[in-house]
Amino acid sequence: MDEILAEKKVVRHPKKKKQPITWDLIKSQNQLVWMSVPLLLYIILFAYVPVWGWTMAFQDYRPGRAFNDQKWVGFKQFKFLLTDDNFLRVLRNTFAMGLINLILGFVTAIVLALLLNEIRKVFWKRAVQTISYLPHFLSWIIVTGIVATSLSINDGIVNIVLMKLHLIREPILWLSEGKYFWGIVGASHVWKEVGWNTIIYLAAIASVDPALYEAAEIDGANRYKKMRFVTLPGIKATIVILLIMSVGHVLEAGFEVQYLLGNGLIVDWSETIDIFVLKYGIAQGNYSLATAGGIFKTVVSITLLLFANWTAKRLGEERLL
Amino acid sequence: MGNQQISPQKTAGIVIKKRLGSSGMEPILFNTFNTIFMIILVTVTLYPFLNTIAVSFNAGNDTIRGGIYLWPRIWTTQNYKAVFVTGTIYDAFWVSVARTVLSTILNIFLTTMLAYTLSRKEYVFRKSITVIFVLTMYFSAGLIPGYFLIKNLHLLNSFWVYVLPSMVSAFNMIVIRTYIGTIPESLLESAKIDGAGDFKIFIRIIFPLCKPVLATVALFVAVGAWNSWFDAFLYTSSRQELSTLQYELMKLLSSTMNSNSNPNVAAGVGMNQNSAQAMVTPLSIRAAVTIVASVPILVVYPFMQKYFVVGLNVGSVKE
Amino acid sequence: MGGKSKSMFKLSLIVLLSLSFTLAGCGGNTNNASEGKENTAKETAAATGNTNTSTKVEPFDISVFIGEAGQQPTPDNKIYKKIKDELGATFNYEYLAGDLNQKLGVMIAGQDYPDVMTGNTKLTAAGAYIPLEDLIEQYAPNLKAHYADYWNMMKDPNDGHIYILPNYGVYNGKVNSSWYSGPAFWIQKAILKEFGYPKVKTLDEYFDLIAKYKEKYPTIDGSPTIGFEILNNDWRNWGLFNAPQHLIGHPNDGGVVVNDSVAEIFADKDSAKQYYQKLNEVNNLGLIDKETFVQNYDQYMAKLSSGTVLGMFDQHWNFSAAENSLVTQGKDERTYVGLPLVFDTKTKDYYRDLPVLNLNNGYGISINAKNAVQIIKLLDSLITEDWQKTLSWGVPGEDYEVTDAGRFIKTQEQRDKAVDATWILANKAKTFNDFGPKLEGSYADGNSTDAAAQPEEYLASVKPYDKEILDAYGFKSYVDFFSEPPANPVYYPAWSIDLVEGSEAKVVNTKLNDLSTKFLPKAILAEPADFDSAWSEYVGAIGKVNVKAYEDKINEQIKWRIDNWSK
Repeated sequence: MDEILAEKKVVRHPKKKKQPITWDLIKSQNQLVWMSVPLLLYIILFAYVPVWGWTMAFQDYRPGRAFNDQKWVGFKQFKFLLTDDNFLRVLRNTFAMGLINLILGFVTAIVLALLLNEIRKVFWKRAVQTISYLPHFLSWIIVTGIVATSLSINDGIVNIVLMKLHLIREPILWLSEGKYFWGIVGASHVWKEVGWNTIIYLAAIASVDPALYEAAEIDGANRYKKMRFVTLPGIKATIVILLIMSVGHVLEAGFEVQYLLGNGLIVDWSETIDIFVLKYGIAQGNYSLATAGGIFKTVVSITLLLFANWTAKRLGEERLL
Repeated sequence: MGNQQISPQKTAGIVIKKRLGSSGMEPILFNTFNTIFMIILVTVTLYPFLNTIAVSFNAGNDTIRGGIYLWPRIWTTQNYKAVFVTGTIYDAFWVSVARTVLSTILNIFLTTMLAYTLSRKEYVFRKSITVIFVLTMYFSAGLIPGYFLIKNLHLLNSFWVYVLPSMVSAFNMIVIRTYIGTIPESLLESAKIDGAGDFKIFIRIIFPLCKPVLATVALFVAVGAWNSWFDAFLYTSSRQELSTLQYELMKLLSSTMNSNSNPNVAAGVGMNQNSAQAMVTPLSIRAAVTIVASVPILVVYPFMQKYFVVGLNVGSVKE
Repeated sequence: MGGKSKSMFKLSLIVLLSLSFTLAGCGGNTNNASEGKENTAKETAAATGNTNTSTKVEPFDISVFIGEAGQQPTPDNKIYKKIKDELGATFNYEYLAGDLNQKLGVMIAGQDYPDVMTGNTKLTAAGAYIPLEDLIEQYAPNLKAHYADYWNMMKDPNDGHIYILPNYGVYNGKVNSSWYSGPAFWIQKAILKEFGYPKVKTLDEYFDLIAKYKEKYPTIDGSPTIGFEILNNDWRNWGLFNAPQHLIGHPNDGGVVVNDSVAEIFADKDSAKQYYQKLNEVNNLGLIDKETFVQNYDQYMAKLSSGTVLGMFDQHWNFSAAENSLVTQGKDERTYVGLPLVFDTKTKDYYRDLPVLNLNNGYGISINAKNAVQIIKLLDSLITEDWQKTLSWGVPGEDYEVTDAGRFIKTQEQRDKAVDATWILANKAKTFNDFGPKLEGSYADGNSTDAAAQPEEYLASVKPYDKEILDAYGFKSYVDFFSEPPANPVYYPAWSIDLVEGSEAKVVNTKLNDLSTKFLPKAILAEPADFDSAWSEYVGAIGKVNVKAYEDKINEQIKWRIDNWSK
């Protein structure tokens, strides 16, 4: 359906690639300009103007000192960050957990949205949906507290259930082994956010034209086929756009969960860039290092974002930019 | 479940009847699986909240022992008393309500307006403005430059610092823009022929059609505004009358934690072993604070939910 | 419309551009950006204060930033009202909720300081406080007398000025000490009773007792007995890190031991190896909780308050809430006694120390304060004995009673109130007193400055079960388990040395903590045969860190302290 519409538009507004932006053209679109340019100025003021602060990354910034009195140190902060023995490991952890969160988060949210959509009784649908998003309102410290208790070898529910099911012989000390840690973080994220992440897909599903379902019905489509050929295509645009945006956020694996669940035995798997920067940046009063870490993440994020957008373009999918 | 949903429900009813007629075992199997899955899901996601409620009604120095699951062991309302005795939270509640309502209204209107302009393929600045907005999701200037901006705009210790910096959100803009992309162009064409300008089309046609997605975005914005405390912490912390509920609760929680982790204070408490102990501990206060902070916003949810769970269909509006 | 919109568009672009330049300019030029509106009120207050020289109390406001979390007192708080009525001052407190480093970052960057701030080395380094020496000399005879013996110690090592008035550590008169909240190896009282009140001196004896008791009682109240806990969670890392220095007879100097005024780290030395090898050995015997290195603080406290943990190395204040829980459960025998263990009996224990000046804590006056003189005069009034009694004990007849002999004593009801958080908000000037200069020890009339240290109050708090144990050892209080502390070395304690923000020493300190957190648990949990290789891996990792930068910084400061603090 999107493609058809897009084609229609192309026909109506032939897009000449090299067409210069003239005052006349802008003038003819003056309503659109008035509706968007003030907001553009607004976002430049609030998001772009403060970026002068990135100069800090090239200084030994001391708060309270005038700009001209700051000491310039070139790439010293970046060097400290990128050459630290732990940096590669920390980067790997961040990527791994970011990727796990991304994939798990996506798949579970979409699947849950589809399944919720199959509940016929509106009351139950609403009830399940409301309950599933409750954990979003709990702070990580509460959630990780429950996770740690559940994984305990002394009457932790996870070990009890697995023992009862004879999947394991004796309780496993989950948080002492690095190989489990990424999975635990991923699962905790799903637990906390799956209901919340579903909301956006439910809204997309709600906007699928019921006529399409009726048409599929007449064609003899069963439930699975309708899901596959009506619902999923109907929300594909949303999925692709959200996916592209999330790829750019892969480095946002966070620090709270890892900080709260991590310990000395698994620090090689749990430490993320954010924790590293927190420990050697802000906590040391080194705002320059924190800024350098931020710039590094921004560069990686935007690269990933552009790559994802380019891939979508190549695949002929909806794209972000 | 208002009257306006009659038509989609009717359609759904027809669909179900037909489906039950057409195939035999498959939907029953599916429904059984789905029901079991939903029961597990509900159990797993309801538990942490119930657990938090149970802890919030359990005596503080008993909670330390752990092992509180779904029901308090030693019932008390002491934890809530400790929250509500903080006289400052009542004013802070209204500040929070004001900032949430104002933020949501402004954000929804402005973001949708922007999304509409950027959904117009013919718009000359479409691409550049989109890029400029999208990039804002991937960088942050940092704490100190952000502070200078607020300071130089004279927003320190002002209510507006809660609203102005977050009037438009790139993420929500993209979500709305994607949604607008699914609205049939034909709907706009007729309006154009009638001579309506873009602003009129936006107000008259796009805005009403976007209800399902706006309900979602409104929820995102409202929950975000309600839960935020960092701006109060950085920008308005020296003016008590501007404090928000979340920040007041945060202060209460921090002070409970502090009095349990400060050598000087804790030693003093430990001294009086034979007097009635202070019953309040960080674990129990955190639970009570969580409930007090989230219940008001949870109440709002069902009102939004009807738009995206049942859905106001584009199709139904088309008629 | 079209032409107009074009020019409007241009105009707004120009406005935006110029705006962004001014913002960038202002951002860099921070020093003159500090004038806030809120100062005007203070200015007028100060001005009226100066013109009116009569003795009538002029009301004035003081804005105070507390670098810790806290709760606002009630508006009609009894003690603050008294201060306002008699001295004119109203305190407007701002408490910290959130990350201190972030808050300080923006406060310093924007030079947005209130009148008074609690001590912090970042603020000192940023020049946020005014020097106090001259103010005290001129306006504050009581403060001058109060701090006379400590004057040099209060000076900032970087420029020799006094910026902060320490809140604890200035002692007058006899010090009544019946309570120990510092580090020790703790053992359940039930164990001592079980084995006939033995005198436990060494680490080996300690673990032998624990092993014997665990063997005899494999479960306590139905749950498996846990021999020993080691907490290393976030900033609560001393349970793992700090024991070795005490075991060789040194006091708590943080990450270093100091011999003949020369500090060196002990984390990779033989004393440390001996301790961790012992832990490795007892772990192999099954005495250490399997979960000990993965647990968080809440889980640790849950275990302690279940009464199943026989012992641990910790500071008492860190787990006192668990003891309170045990007491309410009626499990007094599961509460703990602190033991000052050493490796061998030839070593004298040095866990308990004499109080030290609490440097970098307490009030400082900010460069933005317009009424510094008024503030210092106020603090000077509040350090007088009458005010100190009000701040610490409260109002006689309401918060405490005075016996015919002039002793201060509390009724049970008054004691109960004193620990009730809600009551405190309305009836104590808690925040002021926590951070303000204060008398410690005893008043001129012999009463203790702190209700908790008043011998009568202490006796009232000893429970029968504790009396039995203390009698068996012939002790008056649990403090008597520790040796009488010697006079503190001049530089003591090394842990209060400011490593200076952003210095290499500070980075190295963080790195060392990271390495210990990572390698020590592995070494302790290793098979005994593998301990040596795990240990050398740890020592090797420390060898790669610039330990010298850390030690040099500490030694430089120790030398400075000896040069400047010696009388």
